Amino acid sequence: MQGALTRLFSVMPLIFGFGFVAPLIAQGMAAAGWDAPFGLERIVFGLIVGGTWGLYAQVRGRWL
Amino acid sequence: MSGGDTVRDFDLDTTDLDPRDPAAGQRPAIALAADDTLDGYTRADLRREELEIARRFENGPLWFYPAWAVTALVVWIALFPLTMSGHLNLFVACMIASFIAAGGFVTGHEAYHDNMVRAGGKHRWLNDFTGTISCIPILLPYSVGKLTHIRHHRFVNHPDHDPDYQDWGHNFWHAAWRSWLGRQPRGQGSLAAYRRTLQDMDTPAARKALREGAIFQMVYLGTLFTMAWSGYALEAAMVWWIPRHIGLWFIRLSLSWAPHHPRKDQSRYGNARIMKSPVGNFLAMGMEVHMVHHLYPKIPHHRTKPAYWALKPVLEKRGVDCSAL
Repeated sequence: MQGALTRLFSVMPLIFGFGFVAPLIAQGMAAAGWDAPFGLERIVFGLIVGGTWGLYAQVRGRWL
Repeated sequence: MSGGDTVRDFDLDTTDLDPRDPAAGQRPAIALAADDTLDGYTRADLRREELEIARRFENGPLWFYPAWAVTALVVWIALFPLTMSGHLNLFVACMIASFIAAGGFVTGHEAYHDNMVRAGGKHRWLNDFTGTISCIPILLPYSVGKLTHIRHHRFVNHPDHDPDYQDWGHNFWHAAWRSWLGRQPRGQGSLAAYRRTLQDMDTPAARKALREGAIFQMVYLGTLFTMAWSGYALEAAMVWWIPRHIGLWFIRLSLSWAPHHPRKDQSRYGNARIMKSPVGNFLAMGMEVHMVHHLYPKIPHHRTKPAYWALKPVLEKRGVDCSAL
């Protein structure tokens, strides 16, 4: 159990990017009335940005 | 004391943080023209006088700490349905939640020191209950907060043994930057120091605290993810995610960095300072006289400043810099 949790938390930035940042971006854009570029759906755009950002945080060890 | 001893000698007992022994204040604080013997007598007398004054401010009614903790938790939980149903503006909710997140540390902190109901006292559960619910918004389990905070008192400003030492900074903005860096995925801030401290302690209580920390994280992240994918990402962010970070920033800067800056002195009368806060003592959560709390942790939070005014003449005789207040 402890090992599984350790492994899970070790990739948490990536999970957080997809699990929280992506829908947050999509819903934030919807609240502001912004459309996603290139004809993408907002959630697809959110997943691309959130996932990439999460991957960056995962590799770099920080979000900015 | 070796490094290993300092870690393993630690337990949950808070009574010896406030030693009754007058000899505890033997560090020379004022330069006397006489020999060391007279200096020793003077210091013992001052310490005795200090103790007599401090005792007058200990205890007293503390029912409003649990009352505040329960009220704050109920209000904070209510913010979720209120924002999700559109009855409350998100920015207003964020401000309320941030205040609750930061303020929870005050009530939790009283519980860390067993100030509401001492160990063995009637209704002891009330102390632990208050501590448990106070720091949920900030995601700090009572067990983690208590173990690491008492350790902070034991080893205040020690680079290796004080879990809050990572809150140091050359100035306010440097400390704010370091606080943010410390919360990054591979950050080495206070929360990482808390984890290391508990791992090093490796006692049953520390292992329990680590388990509770993991459970808190899972519930927190599970809540954020579930709300986000149910269409309530903004509400989750404005009621928990952002307020938690604002609260952590406030606590690290106002309650840890400011009163202990520059974190070089580990002595009884020098490990915290008397300061004038630009936001006032209430908004600084009593940190103007944090030194008094480190001298006498059993004095409740709301009586610390009156205690300072009473203790000030004695502290000044000891050579403590009280010029700020």
